[in-house]
Amino acid sequence: MSVPAGLRAQIAADYTAIRPLAPPLVRALWVMPLAALALFAAPVVFNVRSDVAQLGWLVSWGVSLLQAAIGLVVIAAALRESVPGRSWTAPALTAWMALPALVVIAVTLVSWQMSVVPLRRGFWFIGALCLGSSAATALPVIALANVIAARAYPVRPAIMGWLLGLGGGLIADAGWRMFCHFSEPSHVLSAHAGGVLLAAIAGLAIALTLRRPAR
Amino acid sequence: MADPFDPLKDGDARPQLAQAEELRRLMREYQAGRFEAFDELYVLLAPALRRYLLSHVRDAAKADDLVQDTFLQMHRARHTYDPALPLTPWATDDVTAMEIPVRGEASAYAEKTDVRRALGQVAANRRAAVIQHHVLGLSFKEIAERAGIAETAAKLRSSRGIAQLRALLRPGKADKS
Repeated sequence: MSVPAGLRAQIAADYTAIRPLAPPLVRALWVMPLAALALFAAPVVFNVRSDVAQLGWLVSWGVSLLQAAIGLVVIAAALRESVPGRSWTAPALTAWMALPALVVIAVTLVSWQMSVVPLRRGFWFIGALCLGSSAATALPVIALANVIAARAYPVRPAIMGWLLGLGGGLIADAGWRMFCHFSEPSHVLSAHAGGVLLAAIAGLAIALTLRRPAR
Repeated sequence: MADPFDPLKDGDARPQLAQAEELRRLMREYQAGRFEAFDELYVLLAPALRRYLLSHVRDAAKADDLVQDTFLQMHRARHTYDPALPLTPWATDDVTAMEIPVRGEASAYAEKTDVRRALGQVAANRRAAVIQHHVLGLSFKEIAERAGIAETAAKLRSSRGIAQLRALLRPGKADKS
């Protein structure tokens, strides 16, 4: 069975040597500058949270840096998912999707335990501000990560986009929690976790928009 | 069961490992700029790919077109292949993605078959194992690696899937709706 002449000619027309894609973790590092911007934007532009001294460096910046690093690893997982033949299995996918939720819950509880700052007034207004702002901060990271992912040929773009969004959302929230003055779990688990969820929806939407035509 | 992408499945006893290594070497060379490697890859992969597609579309001309589409797709996505990994799962994902048009074209035929209907009733993880092993021809080791389970669990899923399929296809049992 030899190559049909038409196919051979079509392939020869645009054939060049190529360099294989870099490993997912390396490609995830390309979003580092925007991730750093998302992490430091709110605390630098506005201010750091009022209880930062009570939290101490480890639970304030330390935990935020760890959360952002986990967000970057989730983005790397999404970039691996984007490569044909490297799709995650169902159990692994479940773990990747549960990880951001567990991180947000753990960070919320640790912060609440170290510093109790209840939200007494303006629950909905402040909630909407935190939700919208953290999701908006995540957008540049998610958009860039989606462009990087589109270079591969994601077989399941919706799953990949959702994971990218979760990762970007985690990074943005890691910065936003350094500005938000309230540690009350009902606020953090609705507004901040909601921001991560909104980022995941944005990631999914961008991935479906950028997906390549039917193969 | 031998790999369906194994051109030597009808007789040659060369170990599968050597076959996989050869495919990997050819793809690496193709990525690096040796155009002739494509011809060799085509010779190795096309017959099994055609058999697989033919089983879906039941039309030789369409199957030939889809084989060409798949190779064109593999060519365009060649930068996504990681030379450190086996070629078959990567190529299989290309074929899986090709299933979208294949299913569309074949649906008029395929959806009428009892087997397809019965397969739809088999538990998802068992169905996946049955399709990967009996249709795509992946080894149990490959299925296990992709699903993140033990090889024995992959065998169990496939055999239970087949048993369920047999039960569903017994006269009077298949869902005729």
